Amino acid sequence: MAKVRPKKHPPVTDMTAMTDVAFLLLTFFIMTATFKSNEAVEIATPTSISGIKVPDENIMIISIDNSGKVFFGVDAQATRVGMLENIAETKGVAFSDAEKAKFSQFASFGFPVAQLKPWLALSVEQMKSVKQPGIPVDSTGVSELADWVYAARKANPQLRLALKGDNAAKFPVFKDVLTNLQSQNINKFNLITGSEQPPSGWTPDEQQQ
Amino acid sequence: MAEIVDTGGGGKGDGKVRAKKMSTRVDMTPMVDLGFLLITFFMLATTMTKPTSMTLNVPDKQDKKEEQQTEPLKASKVLTIFMGRNNDIYYLDGVAADDDNAETALKKASYGTEIRDVIFKSKTRINSQNPKDEAGNDPFVVVLKPTPVSTYKNMVDVLDEMAITKTKRYALVDELTDAEKSLLGDRIKPQPEQ
Repeated sequence: MAKVRPKKHPPVTDMTAMTDVAFLLLTFFIMTATFKSNEAVEIATPTSISGIKVPDENIMIISIDNSGKVFFGVDAQATRVGMLENIAETKGVAFSDAEKAKFSQFASFGFPVAQLKPWLALSVEQMKSVKQPGIPVDSTGVSELADWVYAARKANPQLRLALKGDNAAKFPVFKDVLTNLQSQNINKFNLITGSEQPPSGWTPDEQQQ
Repeated sequence: MAEIVDTGGGGKGDGKVRAKKMSTRVDMTPMVDLGFLLITFFMLATTMTKPTSMTLNVPDKQDKKEEQQTEPLKASKVLTIFMGRNNDIYYLDGVAADDDNAETALKKASYGTEIRDVIFKSKTRINSQNPKDEAGNDPFVVVLKPTPVSTYKNMVDVLDEMAITKTKRYALVDELTDAEKSLLGDRIKPQPEQ
């Protein structure tokens, strides 16, 4: 007499619950993702206990890298084009629409105005790999950086200014940048820093809240 | 999990060729794989720590009209902090740089808790020895002097110490006086190339 055997099944795990969790997390990360944009340089900022967040929009960033080169960038693409048009007008250089479109793809750049056109003639891939010399900054307060800031503010008057310096940047460069901005009558600066835990027992002032 | 009970259809032996009943279970494994792959990508691509900003207000250079005559700061109420090379701090606590014993009063500290202690001590000492001014401000004033050999990080660190120690009156002065230059001497010269 034949034995009654239960029908054999391969071991099956129910994956539905796992899929649910995976896609829930995926949705969360997609929603919160903010991608790194085309920055000209990597900058390691110092940290501070300040709790003020950097605004997301209407911001222009002046970056100082570890060798003291200065870079400039504006957040919105439309403003970048407007800024380039303003600079072209004052400096007497004409840029084509294709060059403007390429320029607007880069979050920050570091070229003197004279070298900007040869750079924009390259393909986007080449543009990324080119070593950028930095924007000329002068201790007298009249230099191309001041012109760029002026052009950017003309393109979008609501722009706020933020300074992003590298840990290793020397102080005199920062001082020159400061002089340039003060010549534009900008006296309030936001220094972009990483966040750091305040020492234990420290409480913020009522004024800062 | 939803499953369709195999009832076996109609009666047996009616001669019809039936398609084999397929299971309605879907293998979810590749979907989970894909899901986790994407999760990994987005986790790595996201920058979670949002940068913060500290504000720095500097006096207006162009507006000369409102310049007021104020009495000069007394050196005894001032802690002067010089940011030197190699992340060193030199400080003068209540002594002017052209004072006779400035050489011995000049001390060295490092960033972090050491300079914080110095600031706290100096603050308590100066505030207890001097009365508040007419406006009700503490007499304690810190003068921050970044030297050309200091870095941007040094400046941010010291400004951060001002926030931590809650020092309300501080000034960032980027010019060194001749007395300070001779006092600091080699300490603010760039390091010779090795």
